[in-house]
Amino acid sequence: MTSDRAARPRRRSRARRSQLLWGLAFASPWLIGGAVFIAYPIVISAYYSLTNFNLFQSPQFVGLANYRAMVADSVFWKSLENTVYLTVTGVVLTLVLSLGAALILNLPVRGQPLFRALVYLPTIVPVVVTGYLWRWLMNVQYGWVDRILGLLHLPQPDWLESTTWGTRGVLLMTLWTIGGPTVIYLAALKDVPKELYEAATVDGAGPIARFRHITWPVISPVTLFQVIVSVIAYLQIFTQPYLLSQTSLNASTGGPGNSMLTYSIYLFENAFVYLKMGYASAMAWVLFLVTMVVTAVVLISSRRWVHYDGR
Amino acid sequence: MYRKALHRSAMALAGTASLITLAAGCASSSGGSAASGRTTVTFDYLWTGAEANSLQQIIKQFNASQKQITVVGISNPDTQKQLASMSSSTGSFDISDNFGNNVGSWAAKGILAPLTSYMQAAGTRASDFVPAAMDQVTYQGQVYSLPIALHDFELLYNKKEFAAAGIAGPPTTTGQLAADIAKLTKVNKNGQITQLGLGNPDTETTMTTLGYVFGGTWDGAHNSTPSPQDAGNVAALNFYTQNITDKYGAANVAKFTAGWGQYGSPQDPFYTGKVAMVIDGEWQPVMAKENAPNLDWGVADIPYPVGDPSMVGTTQLTASTLFVPANAPHKQAAFTFMNYLTSPSVMLKFTLALGNLPARTSLLDNPAYNSIPDFSVWLQALKSPNVHALASQPYSAQYSTDLTTAFTSVMVGSVTPASAMAQVASQAKAYGTP
Amino acid sequence: MTAVDHAAPDQAVPAPPADIRRAPARAATRVARSGLRVLTVLVLVAAFAFPFAVMITTSFKPTADIFHAPPEFWPAHWTLANFRAVFTAMPFWQYLGNTVLLSALNVAGTLFACPLVAYALAKLRWRGRGPLLVLVLATMMLPPQVTLIPVYLIWNHLHAVNTYWPLVVPAFCGTPFLIFMIRQFLINVPNELLEAARIDGASELRIYRTVVLPLARPALAAAAVFQFVWTWTDFLNPLIYLNSPSKYTLSIGLYNFFSEHGVDWGPLLAACVLFTIPAFCIFLAGQRYFVEGIATRGLK
Repeated sequence: MTSDRAARPRRRSRARRSQLLWGLAFASPWLIGGAVFIAYPIVISAYYSLTNFNLFQSPQFVGLANYRAMVADSVFWKSLENTVYLTVTGVVLTLVLSLGAALILNLPVRGQPLFRALVYLPTIVPVVVTGYLWRWLMNVQYGWVDRILGLLHLPQPDWLESTTWGTRGVLLMTLWTIGGPTVIYLAALKDVPKELYEAATVDGAGPIARFRHITWPVISPVTLFQVIVSVIAYLQIFTQPYLLSQTSLNASTGGPGNSMLTYSIYLFENAFVYLKMGYASAMAWVLFLVTMVVTAVVLISSRRWVHYDGR
Repeated sequence: MYRKALHRSAMALAGTASLITLAAGCASSSGGSAASGRTTVTFDYLWTGAEANSLQQIIKQFNASQKQITVVGISNPDTQKQLASMSSSTGSFDISDNFGNNVGSWAAKGILAPLTSYMQAAGTRASDFVPAAMDQVTYQGQVYSLPIALHDFELLYNKKEFAAAGIAGPPTTTGQLAADIAKLTKVNKNGQITQLGLGNPDTETTMTTLGYVFGGTWDGAHNSTPSPQDAGNVAALNFYTQNITDKYGAANVAKFTAGWGQYGSPQDPFYTGKVAMVIDGEWQPVMAKENAPNLDWGVADIPYPVGDPSMVGTTQLTASTLFVPANAPHKQAAFTFMNYLTSPSVMLKFTLALGNLPARTSLLDNPAYNSIPDFSVWLQALKSPNVHALASQPYSAQYSTDLTTAFTSVMVGSVTPASAMAQVASQAKAYGTP
Repeated sequence: MTAVDHAAPDQAVPAPPADIRRAPARAATRVARSGLRVLTVLVLVAAFAFPFAVMITTSFKPTADIFHAPPEFWPAHWTLANFRAVFTAMPFWQYLGNTVLLSALNVAGTLFACPLVAYALAKLRWRGRGPLLVLVLATMMLPPQVTLIPVYLIWNHLHAVNTYWPLVVPAFCGTPFLIFMIRQFLINVPNELLEAARIDGASELRIYRTVVLPLARPALAAAAVFQFVWTWTDFLNPLIYLNSPSKYTLSIGLYNFFSEHGVDWGPLLAACVLFTIPAFCIFLAGQRYFVEGIATRGLK
């Protein structure tokens, strides 16, 4: 008896150890990659943020000088302002428009797969193509955006040439690629149990009431996912404004009066154009903190409006 | 079944491994293997199109003229890629080109190979080159680049528009310039501008040149500290706002500017008559002939400020320079080629083909340049004592960006010249030593 | 958005049987409603498809027609000159080949690493599983800018800048999003199959290869398609790491094309059309995986 009971823990610990080894073995690609490409860089970039480092000479420790310089840097604040504007407006519009598009695409019409595909197609087009295409479309003289606005008798802004409409131009381009969120919402809509709708209709609920009390709550976990993903994406946005504001000969981008200078573009410029890698690292850490704080706020607030398990 | 899976995964692994090796092999070999005994020099250059073609001709001639060096020329217009290559431990090129005002910044970081000793060995003298250009490429007593082509800026004007407006000839003072701008700017009955007296091909160049014209300086008394608030600079910006943006409405001007076609194309605003005057560089004769052969245009010295004739012939100089990166695999061979490129006959051929100014003082009076119409105005301007060049300092890149942003804000009317320059001055405090 | 009608109840006037009288009215409403629905969908789709149409029609216009203000949609003259210009101005096939190679290598890396890690997170019971899952999810929120510079310096130190190594190796370490997606899928694999194999004495590796991988094929296919498209369209990494034009991918090739001053919009848009065609073909082939693979299970 005692030998059995003694043997069992030994067998269990041996089994657990072997499971642990297998777990580590299978996870090793990510563990190794994570150590080299994530953990180590995070630590070392924190160090760089406390130095002046121009890539060609060894870093010189300067303490918090970079962070202090950031506070006094008006271009930094402009890039932050642009990024915050893009994030707030972009996330809201993405949610509203992708949900709207999903609702429309969910209508029972023939050829749904084709329509779904056409809406999704812009997301897999290389972003460089999208960038130049929209640059052409937003051309003040020869572009279609202002032409269509003109036909509708609406004001025609200077878009990429203006010092104030640049970010809205960026939004126009990013909102063309809401196919991804749309398709996710579409799948979520299809997962809403039909019985709920039928029961509501029997109770006399109209389409708006049905949306408010059934659709919205049931898909709220998906909405949470969309919000978090969109917020993170917009805080880091780089490629779209970079391409829209690119000048020939690859000179500094950012648009007239820094109208399209986002946080990431300014970070990139500091790192690879001005060779102020210490300052750029400090900017990266601030971005990291802001991302974590915003994500935490969204998650905490989500308890109030997200309903799980279709309740 | 297990064996089949094993077999399949082994094949997959082998396939992937060979693909990776292939990719690594293809990727890491730099172009051009050395043919028997000859050193291969890789020449990455920013020039493209027709300029690249003439360069390739010259390279071919060099390769044929001697047996020690083979030069491989690659067109790579991305300036950031240059920097990236120079940051690796072995560079992907031996010699490249850039603008003179980057030299100080790069030399300070130790990424350029000093050329003074190579020059001494080859007998190349710094005094043979235009002084303002040599100043830009010299840092702390060492020469880090050789200028090959220079650029300066003059006032181009549309003769047809001048005749239509009843103006006899190009303006010689800034007062006349202001009056001509007023006569040549047309507004239609809806209040929209249909023609602008003075255009703006490149914001930074136009404004900094005007700054020099009004007696200002952008880099302080010793060409080593940013001085955006210099009185002449602010006066230049005020000239622009008073005669263009404030007079016709910044929003109107911006709207008109936004609708301009691409610079240097047939839709260029100067070529299509949308602007009557521009301050632009010596490549215009070649470019205008190609894109707007029927345009009747002329060129003159930039006007000097009223009452200050000592400023006659003020212009800004920029230099296309050749450099050897510090991590170049074949520095001596690269300099030998650089020497060839900057030798008088080759420099003459190259600058003629590109329509650029030569960097050697001995070539300034060469009759070959008469083949390019109106070229002499730019050429002779290089001899003027009022030729200025932006400093070549470590802060230059960021200063340039900040100035351009400030200029754009002034031209859009969102900030006054004085406060815009004050803004740049406060930003300049943070330039420090990157 | 169901198709329920709300036909008004009949009035209390003696009338012929209700269905016969209501039928034509209901049919008319239904036709109007479905017509409205179709119209709404068409407007939405047209808005998305319009930019493509402009891109394609403009690429066939001669330069003079392109610079027509205000723009006209349909080409007055059709020409292939812009497409010819693309092939002379840039080594299109070389860029295409480079991009295909990179994408294939990245897919290979993903298919190697992601299922491995996903299996560790889904089916193996070991002490580190919970913390690892949290770590994997957390790294999805890490801005790449934080690690950008140090990672660049690592590669620089290894003399690997301007090679394809920095663009391929990370895929062999697994991508958090795809790991998570496959993990969600694997959770639904019944444990009995795995237990049966374990009892038979198979090692974990054998179970993985012979039981798990075949079952995970749909998720793997989706992951492969995703990774292919991401690598295909990647801009930032080739921008930072590739310096020689011969190594450029399609994205950077197009970016380079624009960098020269005086580029014509005609050839540029023609190049855009050419760059889009492969993506479009891949999409048509793998449509199922795109549109269905991403959404559902992975989010619950």
